[in-house]
Amino acid sequence: MTDNTLLSVRGLSLEVAHTGLEVVKGISFDIAAGEIFGIVGESGSGKTLATRALISLLPPAIKVTGGAVSYKGQDVLKMKDRDLRRLRGAEVGVVFQEPMTSLNPSMTIGRQLEEGLILHTKFSPEERRARILDMLKRVGIREPEGALAAYPHEFSGGMRQRIMLASVMLLKPALLIADEPTTALDAVIQRDVMELMVELTRAEGTAVLLISHDLPMVARYTSRIVVMEKGAIVEQGRTEDLLDAPQHPYTKKLLSSLPFRGEARALDMSKQPMVSAQNIVVDYAGRKSLLKKAKPKRALHGVSIDIHEGEVVALVGGSGSGKTTLGRTIAGLVKENEGQIRFQGRARDEDWQDYRMNCQMVFQDPYSSLDPRMTILALVEEALRLVPDLDGAAKRKRALETLEEVGLNADYASRYPHELSGGQRQRVAIARAIARRPRFLIADEPVSALDVTVRAQVLDLFSDLQKRYGFSCLFISHDLGVVEQVADRVVVMQDGRIIEEGDRDAIFDNPQQDYTRRLLSAIPALDQNERGGVTLKWRLEKDI
Amino acid sequence: MKKISLNGLIGGILIAVLLASAALGLVWTPFDPMKLSFTARLAAPSALHLLGTDEFGRDVLSRLMVGAQASVWIGFLTVSFATIFGTLIGLVSGYARGWIDGVIMAINNALLAFPGILLALGLLAVFGANQYGIIFALGIAYTPSMARVVRGAVLSLREREFIEASRVMGNGELFTLFRHVLPNCLAPITVLATSMFGWAILSESALSFLGLGVPPPAPTWGNMLAAGRPFIQQAVWLGLFPGICIALTLLGINLLGDALRDRLDPRMRGLK
Repeated sequence: MTDNTLLSVRGLSLEVAHTGLEVVKGISFDIAAGEIFGIVGESGSGKTLATRALISLLPPAIKVTGGAVSYKGQDVLKMKDRDLRRLRGAEVGVVFQEPMTSLNPSMTIGRQLEEGLILHTKFSPEERRARILDMLKRVGIREPEGALAAYPHEFSGGMRQRIMLASVMLLKPALLIADEPTTALDAVIQRDVMELMVELTRAEGTAVLLISHDLPMVARYTSRIVVMEKGAIVEQGRTEDLLDAPQHPYTKKLLSSLPFRGEARALDMSKQPMVSAQNIVVDYAGRKSLLKKAKPKRALHGVSIDIHEGEVVALVGGSGSGKTTLGRTIAGLVKENEGQIRFQGRARDEDWQDYRMNCQMVFQDPYSSLDPRMTILALVEEALRLVPDLDGAAKRKRALETLEEVGLNADYASRYPHELSGGQRQRVAIARAIARRPRFLIADEPVSALDVTVRAQVLDLFSDLQKRYGFSCLFISHDLGVVEQVADRVVVMQDGRIIEEGDRDAIFDNPQQDYTRRLLSAIPALDQNERGGVTLKWRLEKDI
Repeated sequence: MKKISLNGLIGGILIAVLLASAALGLVWTPFDPMKLSFTARLAAPSALHLLGTDEFGRDVLSRLMVGAQASVWIGFLTVSFATIFGTLIGLVSGYARGWIDGVIMAINNALLAFPGILLALGLLAVFGANQYGIIFALGIAYTPSMARVVRGAVLSLREREFIEASRVMGNGELFTLFRHVLPNCLAPITVLATSMFGWAILSESALSFLGLGVPPPAPTWGNMLAAGRPFIQQAVWLGLFPGICIALTLLGINLLGDALRDRLDPRMRGLK
C-alpha cells in the first residue's frame, strides 16, 4: 500500500445469507487519491454489491464472509454505526443510477441539498445557502435561486442527476462512488453529465469509483479498470493496456461485443417505398380540467419518412425527440392528426387487415412486453391467431419453428416469461413479431434493456433474420453504436422534426447538423486489433 | 409438481367439512331443527344434544347444519354477483377510459359513499326481507368495491407493453380485454372475493340481528348468533358455536383463496 492509497479492498467476499450463494468472490483492488477508477461488468457480476460493501450499505440479506476494506487506513467493515455515518456523505459520496427515484419527491431541492451540510458541517444557514447556490451554478442549473424552492419532478432526468451530483459534491468528499450514473439518460445528456462529474471531481481532488456496464464510457474517463464477471475480478489494469491487449477471454468477449460498423449494403432504392409516411403531425391532448382545456402539445411537426424494401432505417434522437411517437404512429398505436401513411403504394387505412398482417413491432422492455400468464409457445402462437390459411397444427408447427430460429428450443415452449432471462425474453418478442412473416418491422429500442454481450447476440440474431426474410425495418434507438452496426440509412430527429437523414456512412463520417455531431461525440469509433483489443477513437464535436 | 401448500390444505379441509355438513343437513340432522321442546330449554351441551339447545329447546347442532346451507348459499351468491358485475364494470371502466369511465366511476363512488350495510338496508326495504332480497342487496352493496379494485388493476395493466403488443397483432379490444387484461387481474379479484365471502356472512348476521335477515324460525348462522345474544350469560353455547362456525369458515376461505391465487399465478409456481 503506497501512501496515497485512499481505499484498499482485500479479498472481499459476500454471500446471500440464507442460501449461501457467493455473490462476490474475494476481490481486491486499490484506489489512489484523486484517481478515476472503473469497475465494468454485466448485470449479476456483483459490481453494485461490492461497492455497497465499501460503505457498509449492504442489503440485510447479504453478509460479508471475508476480506477487509480499509479507507485511509481504517477498517470500514469493523466501524461502528456512528463512525460509518460520519464516513458516508462527508468522506464518501454516492450517486445512484436512477435520478427519478434517488431524490425525495416531497422535499424541495434546497432542503435536500442542505441536509448533508447540516449533518456534516458547522456552517451558518447563510453560509450553507451561499455554498448551495454556488454549487448549483457550477453544475449548470440555470436559475439556482428558483431551484432551491423547486421539487424534483420539475426537473428532467439529466438535471436531476446534476442536482444529485451537486448534493454529493457540496461536502467535498474524498471519494465519489458513481453507480451507473448515466445509464438512465440519453446519449447527449449522458456525456454532459459525465464531463461535469469529471470536471468537478478534478477541481476538488476527489477520487471517483465509476461503475458501469458501458465499457467505452468507463474507458473514456478512467485511468484504471477492473473487469468483473460472476462475482470475481477477471482482469484489472491500466485502461489503455486493458483495451489494447485484453488477457482474459471474458474481457475479449466484452470488447468484441461492442457494436462495430456493419458492411454497407447496396439496396434497390428505385422502386416505390414499402412504407411511406407523409407530413405526419401528432398532437398530444393537453390536460383537461373542468373549465379550461390546456393547449395540446405537438409531438410531431409534419414529419415524412420512407422505408424501402429490405431496408433498415434507424430513427435516432434524444428522449423527447418524437422518435418513439413516430414509430407508434406508423404502427397505428397513435392516431395521426394530419398526414398520410402509405403501405406498398396504398393508403394504410384502406386495407387495415393487410397492414396488420404485415407490420409488426418489437418493444423495448422485454419484462413488460410479454403477458406473464402465458407460456412462450402460447405467446408466439397468439401472433398467428389471425393468420388466414393456417390450421391449428400448422400454427403450432410455425410457432415452434420460429422459436427454434431465434435460438429457443422446444424445452422453452412450455415455460413462462419470468423463467427466462432478459435476452431470452427479447428473443421471444422477436419470434412473436416475425412469426407472421411480416414485410415490415418496427423495433423500438429493442436492445437497450439488455447487457452488452446479450445485446450483441440479439443484434446478430436480428441481422440474420433480416437477411433471411428480407423485411424492411424501422429501428428506433438512442444508441448510435447499435445503429452503426445494423442500419442502412439513418434519420435524426430533434424536437419532433427530422433534422438530418442520409446513408449510414454519410451520417457517421460527415454529419451536417450540430445535434448529430453531439450525438456522435457520445460514442467512439472502434478499431479492432489482432490481440482481441480495440482502439477507441472519440469523435470530438469540432472534428466532425 | 402438484404440491399443495399447508395453508391451502387446512383451508380446503375446513371448507370441505363445511360443505359436507351443509349437504348432510339436507338429508339428516340429529334432531328436527324446528322442533320445539319445552322440557329441554337452554340445555347445556351433553351426549344427547352435542352442542346444547336454545331457548325453545331446539337442537343447536341440527340448526347449525341447516343454517350452514343458508349462510353458504348467501355468501356464494352474493360474492358471485358482486364479482361478476364488479369485474365487468371495472374492466370496461378502466379499459375504455374517457367519459365512460367518468360516468361509471361517478355512480360507483356515489354508491361507495354509503356504508355497505346502510346501502343493503335501503335495498332490502325495496326487495323485501328474504334470502334473495339479502343476496341482491348485499351483492349490489359490494359491487362498487370490486369495480374499484379491478379498475385500478386495469389502469396499470393497460399501459403495459404486452397490451400494446396485442393491439399491434390486430387482436380486437374484447379479445385483448379477456385474454390479457382479465387474467392478470385475477390476483386482486381472488383476494377481494374471498374476503367478501366473509363480509357477506357477517352482514347477513348483522341484518338478521336487525330483523331484516332471513325471517325466523328458519335458521341461519347470523340469526342464531343474534338470537343467542340475550342469553350470553346463561347459555354461552348459543352464541359461541355459530360464532366459531363463522370464524372457521372465514379462515378456511381466506386460506383457500390465498392458495388459489398463488396457484393461478405462474410466477408463484416453483417458488417456495
